[in-house]
Amino acid sequence: MAEKEKTELKKGAPLLVVDHLTKRFADLTVLDGISLTVHEGEVIVIVGPSGCGKSTFLRCLNALEDIQGGEILLHGERITQNSKNLTELRQRVGMVFQSYELFPHLNVLDNILLAPTKVQKRKREEVKEEAMALLARIGLESKAESFPRQLSGGQKQRVAIIRALCMHPEVMLFDEVTAALDPEMVREVLDVILELANQGKTMLIVTHEMQFARAIADRVIFLNDGNICEESPPEEFFDHPKTERAKQFLQTFTFSRKGS
Amino acid sequence: MKKNRKLFAILLTFALVLSLAACGSSGGSAASTTTDSSAAEKADAAGNATGAPAEESSQDSAAVFRTLEEIQASGTINIGVFSDKNPFGYVDENGEYQGYDVYFANRIGEDLGVKINFVSTEAANRVEYLETGKVDIILANFTVTEERAEKVDFALPYMNVALGVVSPDSRVIKDLSEIGEGDQVIVISGTTAETYLSENNPEITLQKYDTYANAKNALENGNAVAWANDNTEVIAFALQNPGYTVGIPSLGSQDTIAPAVSKGNETLLKWINDEIVSLADENFFHKDYEETLIDTYGADYEDSLVVEGGVTAQ
Amino acid sequence: MPDLGLNVLFKGKNLARLMGGLGVALKISLLSVVISIVLGIVVGLLMTWKNPISRALMRCYLEIVRIMPQMVLLFLVYFGTTRIFGWNLSGETSSVIVFSFWGAAEMGDLVRGALISIPQHQYESAAALGLSGGQTYRYIVLPQTVRRLIPLSMNLITRMIKTTSLVLMIGVVEVLKVSQQIIEANRMSSPNAAFGVYLTVFALYFFACWPISLLAGFLEKRWR
Repeated sequence: MAEKEKTELKKGAPLLVVDHLTKRFADLTVLDGISLTVHEGEVIVIVGPSGCGKSTFLRCLNALEDIQGGEILLHGERITQNSKNLTELRQRVGMVFQSYELFPHLNVLDNILLAPTKVQKRKREEVKEEAMALLARIGLESKAESFPRQLSGGQKQRVAIIRALCMHPEVMLFDEVTAALDPEMVREVLDVILELANQGKTMLIVTHEMQFARAIADRVIFLNDGNICEESPPEEFFDHPKTERAKQFLQTFTFSRKGS
Repeated sequence: MKKNRKLFAILLTFALVLSLAACGSSGGSAASTTTDSSAAEKADAAGNATGAPAEESSQDSAAVFRTLEEIQASGTINIGVFSDKNPFGYVDENGEYQGYDVYFANRIGEDLGVKINFVSTEAANRVEYLETGKVDIILANFTVTEERAEKVDFALPYMNVALGVVSPDSRVIKDLSEIGEGDQVIVISGTTAETYLSENNPEITLQKYDTYANAKNALENGNAVAWANDNTEVIAFALQNPGYTVGIPSLGSQDTIAPAVSKGNETLLKWINDEIVSLADENFFHKDYEETLIDTYGADYEDSLVVEGGVTAQ
Repeated sequence: MPDLGLNVLFKGKNLARLMGGLGVALKISLLSVVISIVLGIVVGLLMTWKNPISRALMRCYLEIVRIMPQMVLLFLVYFGTTRIFGWNLSGETSSVIVFSFWGAAEMGDLVRGALISIPQHQYESAAALGLSGGQTYRYIVLPQTVRRLIPLSMNLITRMIKTTSLVLMIGVVEVLKVSQQIIEANRMSSPNAAFGVYLTVFALYFFACWPISLLAGFLEKRWR
């Protein structure tokens, strides 16, 4: 019940509108006319079997992939790879990837400060203050001068989240950020994302952590073969999936001893 | 980047010119009778190859060399000498050029009234230096050969060279006919001695070594009855090593050593020739010998090695 | 103790001349290394460009450098430029040009290798942060490339220092030439000098190259 209230509450103005998005790699259609509206403050979790196109979908939203049909609008502005203000649009869409993509030659603080100071031309001191505060929140203050090679996978992903946040994006994209982590480090990363949700950050999350998805999502999107197969609030999706394909998918996460 | 492209273009041009020229002159001359190693021959051949197109183009452009007047006007003459061929051209412990060739070079500078810029040359690049006018004169123990005379102009000679044969005092070889059937003669591979003996005396068995040191050891160990080399080398060896005698001091054709200038540099050539002739009045090259070569070759060979006034005795 | 002829080193200015010769060798090679690194980065970038013409041209350049003996290049630049263009380049300038021409190609190939070894996701994370293509190269790709290059280029740098011994062919008097001069000047008085002098040259080369490899080791440790 509580989650439902939250959903109602969070439905602000449309922030990101995806209209009949089509993505093809040569002859292979990966995304087949996807439409989706993301409202301000909304948390959308995208699930689906591997190869369903969920990562590609996120990458299209940040114009890391070119698209073959449809359009993506951020506050009414089109995002395409040819956009003149592409770098400006990308600043408004933060993204964290599956692979630890910190810059290995820069320490934690410089990783975070690079884009705000070089791209947004903000004052180093001001961004540093903000960055240190955020690092303190996730308990990595003491690692500010450390290099990525000195951090664990979970620490690196948390720094990557802070790095994206310091650009003050309007929407955050998380692409399977815990998939490459050891199990004991998954929690610390997901906790950070949960906290962002509580602060009302607009987010699109691709994940295989179903319990986490259920807890954080306002809406769950089930992608299959490049189409949105189901779109529903988390309880509905996880407890009463409408389609056979979604049922099969969810069964892969439950275990039971056959014949007992 | 621009510089890089330019450089690339230049080198590509060179490569093309080189390959074209090499095709044009593929019927080059066979082995010659120089006193230098085969490396010199190769470099000369390469010089010849690149030289062909340059000569054509130099007809409309200015000449590569500097005339006598231009040298005097500039106040400096560039003379190519050896820097590591004691006692002809070498550098002493104070960094000063010394030797038989350098002694003459200094006199040239003095009489021309110009300063001398010594350029350290190698056997393999002497012709190239003259063909490009990067030096005005080569005074580097430069043996006169027909092949070289096609590319550079030699002045009058100032020294003789020939082949010589050294052997132990116990059995001094005074004539090649004394070498019996079972006897062997040491030579260094690639030298004139090797070429000469295999062409003119094929009946003699040669023992070939790559380096001077190995040849020397072989003779000292008694591996062969004699050692054939440039006569200056064998004379110096016999003087340094008691128990050995140069039985044949002059074998085969006598070659001469002379200054050389760029092809066509007539003013400078004439001046050097006049200089050599006039220096005979003061017996200059004998004095040069006594200053620079006598320690190595001794007084006995002074008259056979030195050429005075450009006049060869034989 | 056998006579190594080391005494010839202490005659007159011989030791100073030898050091001067080493100075010439180091000057030529270090200058060439610096130019090679700068040009090599450009060549490496061109080698990874999608433009097939620039790639073919760079490939051709690299092959020419690999096939041509350095000695031939030295002759071409020192004597060839005089023949064809009438330029009178000094021996040292010609050496620096040849060594840079050689080094830029080899360094370019190393840069190409380092560039393609930088994972795609580094470019993507930079793009996702709003960095432009130029900013990505300047702040992300090139600094990582240079760090990867240091250990790779060590080999090239030391080879370059050793290859300076060839420049004596175009009249440049460097350490090896000085040592030959010293040996020859004393061949009557100290026939054994060759061993001692070459031993000294060996030590000089070693002490010239050693700090460079120490520095490289230090940088590699710091940047890894």
